[in-house]
Amino acid sequence: MAMELEYDRSLYGIEHVAGPFEITDEIIDRANSSTGETGPAFISDAGAKEAGYRGRIAPPTLCCILVRQVSLPDVKVKFGRTQMHAGQRVEPKAPVYAGDRLTASSHLKDVYAKTGRSGTMVFVVWETTFTNQDGQVVAEVQESFAKRE
Amino acid sequence: MPYYDEIELGDEIGPVEKVATDEEVANFCDVWGAPKPNRFTDPDVAAKAGMPGTIVPGIMTMAMMAQLLTDWGGPGSIKDLDLVFRQPVPHNRPLTLAATITDLREEDGENLVECDILMTGTEGERYVGGKAIVVVAGR
Repeated sequence: MAMELEYDRSLYGIEHVAGPFEITDEIIDRANSSTGETGPAFISDAGAKEAGYRGRIAPPTLCCILVRQVSLPDVKVKFGRTQMHAGQRVEPKAPVYAGDRLTASSHLKDVYAKTGRSGTMVFVVWETTFTNQDGQVVAEVQESFAKRE
Repeated sequence: MPYYDEIELGDEIGPVEKVATDEEVANFCDVWGAPKPNRFTDPDVAAKAGMPGTIVPGIMTMAMMAQLLTDWGGPGSIKDLDLVFRQPVPHNRPLTLAATITDLREEDGENLVECDILMTGTEGERYVGGKAIVVVAGR
């Protein structure tokens, strides 16, 4: 039977905008060094041009890092004590170039309960669209957080 | 990089072995601006959260998984990467990353390669799993 969840439903339909995020060479360098990224297109303009880009690009999960800098309201789910990052999804839509300025717009996508072997968990899903300085969508990111009893 | 007609169902991408060191995790947390102290770099905070030790952030494991795919298909090849963080991932331990191709199809002029992707530990732990769609070139 579906569980009746208590949370702040008034959050649906509200967009939380953050940014601009400046995609500097330094940010790309630091993201690369922390994951051992050596892909030529992520390292230099020359490497990126060889792969057909107009300049150096950021690795495809950089927006997944930036999304954590968007301040999101408490959904006030009346369930569970501990919260964990349960999953993440990224759909890159266009290259993110060094020098770009990105804006993020996030909204509450879903809140649902799921019961499995380890008991019931409640998932809160946020969806964020990243847009560059030209108004082009560069990535869609979904994050889900789970609360456990 | 492979061409679409060279790829078959069941083909494997990887496996690749990686380790996320304390230093790399600390560096990653700085890029992200993680609030401190946190369970990723502070053993006490991790212990209070019931973890056996400091853990690797989910987003960092995602970056590592993305790398497996871009090393194979090219820097702009990921169309969709959808991951579930199943278990806490420890620092300084060997992690095996691999993907298995489950579907091949042409859609809207693109050659799509769908795969199941998994990060495992040396004792068979299934740390991170999910699905990915990668676009590869035709001839």
